[in-house]
Amino acid sequence: MAEEKKIIEVGDGSVIPDPDDPGLISAWWIALIGTVSLLIILPLVKPDPYAKILSFVPDGILVTFKVTIASISLALVIGLLTGLGRLSKNRFINLMASLYVEVVRGIPLLVQLFYIYFALGRIVRVPDIVAAVIAMAFCYGAYMGEVFRAGIKSIDFGQTEAALSLGFNGRQTMAYVVLPQAWRTILPPVGNEFIALLKDTSLVSILAVSDILRRGREYASESFNYFETYTMIALIYLLITLILSRLISSMEHRLSHYERR
Amino acid sequence: MLRKCALTLAVLATLCGSAWAETIIVFATDATWPPMEFVNSDKQIVGFSVDFLKAAGKEAGFKPVFKNTAWDGIFAGLAAGKYDAISSSVSITEERKKAMDFSEPYFTVRQALIVPKDSTAKSLADLKGKKVGGQIGTTGYFAIKEADGVIPKSYDEIGLAMEDLNVGRIDAVVCDDPVAANYALDKYKDKLKIAAVLKTDKVENYGFAVKKGNKKVLDLLNKGIEAVKAKGIDKELKKKWIGQ
Repeated sequence: MAEEKKIIEVGDGSVIPDPDDPGLISAWWIALIGTVSLLIILPLVKPDPYAKILSFVPDGILVTFKVTIASISLALVIGLLTGLGRLSKNRFINLMASLYVEVVRGIPLLVQLFYIYFALGRIVRVPDIVAAVIAMAFCYGAYMGEVFRAGIKSIDFGQTEAALSLGFNGRQTMAYVVLPQAWRTILPPVGNEFIALLKDTSLVSILAVSDILRRGREYASESFNYFETYTMIALIYLLITLILSRLISSMEHRLSHYERR
Repeated sequence: MLRKCALTLAVLATLCGSAWAETIIVFATDATWPPMEFVNSDKQIVGFSVDFLKAAGKEAGFKPVFKNTAWDGIFAGLAAGKYDAISSSVSITEERKKAMDFSEPYFTVRQALIVPKDSTAKSLADLKGKKVGGQIGTTGYFAIKEADGVIPKSYDEIGLAMEDLNVGRIDAVVCDDPVAANYALDKYKDKLKIAAVLKTDKVENYGFAVKKGNKKVLDLLNKGIEAVKAKGIDKELKKKWIGQ
């Protein structure tokens, strides 16, 4: 009967394993075991260059995580504000939020990264990681905004009516009644975006930020071991993504407790 | 009878023509390294190396064709056979000699340190704890990594490093001296200066790189280089592009 479907379309993210889908679960296990064993066996069997690559990369992993977590936190805040803005009755706020989403969704992330780093760099001096985080949060905030909007809209208006009739005002309704319920619908796409953002942080290597990919490229350019280096880099990203997607899937599973029959 | 003669002559001419046809050697070049190789306003690849190879080609009998390639993958492409040689101000080093063959040196170069005009740094030792940028995979960047206490930052193109230095995100840039001169004395002459040339006891030379074992192209190149050096054409080109 509900016209608004609870399924939210998002951009590319990883396939979050659904515990009820056996096909995906076994693919996940095979991928995980394969990745971990390769990451262990290759450096043991051929320490030069595989072990050398692994020793070169750890600080890059730290930087990638820092950028990802900072970007996602900022993007969540921007997304919430944008989503609420697009649902606002105030025409001006609504217009601003919609304009932001339109513009950001129309420019590729890499172009935004370059723009914020170089073009704005001449006006406002920001360190490279800060520029990268701002650019990623700016871009992903728009997509998060759409996710928040759809999630909030999916909550039955009856909830809002009941809250208002009980004496909550608009803001209290949103904060105490609607958002907590919407969160359950929002979490899977947000988790998806989190993983997509982690993969997209590899783009910041173009801004000379020393993340995993940049460390790999630096090593490859000195040693000329391109195949081995990029193999390890790909495996590392895959391992991180696999673990994260599993964590998000189990979080979803716990949150859907009330919906399970 | 006349037609037969004409036909025979035509066939002979074509055969002679193909015997006259020059060998074409495809060079990969990262044309973001003025004044050695860069792209001018007409979108042509020009520079010292381009003119040098055209002159060498005339002497040794080959025609150089240039392919603009990103520096980061330029050696991988050579190993994969995507082009015949690299002409991209590649310094001859022992590590690189293990992966590819080099021609005779065609240019001697030193690493220069570029800093903002108000900086007092005179060498990498003065920049302990500061960020110094260089292009990824270049001898300049290796020099930064070897210096104690300096924080290295690698860039895909030297122009990006210069821009960051200009804006103040990094404290110095190390690169080959002709390029340093081009940026510090020309493009950014109000903001940047060359602080010093890095002291080193090794002589650093540019060579053209070919895939290991590619003797045919290497011999042609060396022949051309020797002829150009003998005729003094390289000195003229130096004056034209580098002004000394």
